[in-house]
Amino acid sequence: MTDTIKTENRKGFLVDTSRCIGCRSCQVACKQWNKLDADKTKNQGTFENPRDLTPALYNRIKFVEKADDKGEMSWRFLNERCMHCGDAGCMKVCPSPGALYRTKDGIVAYNRDKCISCKYCVSACPFNIPRYDQDEKVSKCHLCLDRIGGGMAPACAKACPTETLKFGSRSELIAKATAAKKTLYGVDDLNGLGVVYALEGPPEQYGLTANPSIPFSIFLWKDVIKPLGILGFWGSIGAMLLHYVTIGPKRIEEEHEEGKEAGHDQ
Amino acid sequence: MISRYIERFSTRERVLHWFVTVTFFTLLLSGLGLYSRLFTGYFNLFGNGINAILVHKIAGVLFFVSSVLLFLDNRTRVTEFDEDDREWFRQGGGYLTREDSNLAVGKFNAGQKMFAVFIGLATLILGITGMFIWAPALFPRWIVQLSLMLHGLMFVGSIMFVVVHVYLATIGNPGTLEAMLWGRVSRAWAKHHHPKWYKEVTRENQ
Ligand code: HEM
Repeated sequence: MTDTIKTENRKGFLVDTSRCIGCRSCQVACKQWNKLDADKTKNQGTFENPRDLTPALYNRIKFVEKADDKGEMSWRFLNERCMHCGDAGCMKVCPSPGALYRTKDGIVAYNRDKCISCKYCVSACPFNIPRYDQDEKVSKCHLCLDRIGGGMAPACAKACPTETLKFGSRSELIAKATAAKKTLYGVDDLNGLGVVYALEGPPEQYGLTANPSIPFSIFLWKDVIKPLGILGFWGSIGAMLLHYVTIGPKRIEEEHEEGKEAGHDQ
Repeated sequence: MISRYIERFSTRERVLHWFVTVTFFTLLLSGLGLYSRLFTGYFNLFGNGINAILVHKIAGVLFFVSSVLLFLDNRTRVTEFDEDDREWFRQGGGYLTREDSNLAVGKFNAGQKMFAVFIGLATLILGITGMFIWAPALFPRWIVQLSLMLHGLMFVGSIMFVVVHVYLATIGNPGTLEAMLWGRVSRAWAKHHHPKWYKEVTRENQ
């Protein structure tokens, strides 16, 4: 399935991290709407909880503690979720047509029934997002497909009390944030992320890679080895046929005393 | 009267070889759909993708074990290359001309040795990377990513080598397939293709 994306139709998030107060309403609202079970966690001496995405946690607030020059601690909050990449590694590697697919809004959605549990998407994601549930099926944020189809905002955005999570037309959101002189992350990376962040510092401070890309081995595998391999296969068949009709097989001239019936002419 | 034929492969070797071949082609068919969405149709041979993966895992284990055994059977014969082998490579094994090349060849020629060593190595790499791909959650992501790439690369190398192997073992060298089917080859075949080996076995028998 070719991954075609229409920029003008793209919907997405603008996540203005400067507004986030780390209340985690987004986490809770997502669980509620998508009927996801609670995950049992342990106190690990931080307010960040849970500490990683799970099959039942599609988005979460990452707490990044940071000390300034005077040793004053401060927090950075980052809503972590599927970025709905314009060039999606998961879709590139998925061998099951329709298991991971792009909606007309440009969202990377999935169909559990078509997932064949190969887990390639887990390895191909530049952001380490997809998880597998107890049925060995892919799970991740699908931007509340069932809500936005009906013109509603995704549950997390609806619940956000500070308007950190703004949902809407991607290009409009970016235009507004650019006009407000925000530093944006994800406008062009991977053919544009569906989740664009307004950051207050370098991406690394939020645990984001500065220039996200599809993992190099995955690129080699899918975009280099695969096409060359198909070429190589037919090339070797062609070379053998060519050998047969040009130089030809190595026939043996049977010796006379052995086998009277034999003897191919050379 | 002396027999027109001489023994080339034991029953064990022949059974092992065909076991490797069947598992290899099972892996090929069940893996094609995973290789690219161009080949999704091959999943239908197994019902669906989930079954294809299951078959691929089972066939993978069987191929790994049998291919390692096949390699170990031949390990001394296929890993030692001598001056005659270098000459074989220099003349392209005689396959670049219609003339007889009279190369000094033992039980296996240099090309066969290279093929056996490559398949041995590829089996190891395919097996190890296959394990990482099987349970990606248990290993660091970079290992699984590298494994997916290497698994594809080794597959491509193997299938290309196997195409050449099947050609040379069948229509490319008439009389060769018998060696793997019923274990024997004609004296003329042995003298022509593997003269050093022919001397070796006929000396033993006299
Ligand atoms: C239809 C498929 C195949 C046919 C017709 C075939 C045929 C043969 C024959 C006739 C020989 C004996 C050559 C001789 O007497 O010198 C042989 C040897 C051998 N075959 Fe195959 N084979 C097939 C597939 C495979 C596959 C898939 C593998 C491994 C992945 C394999 C690995 C080997 C090895 C390692 C040897 C030992 C000699 C060498 O290194 O060339 N074969 N095969």
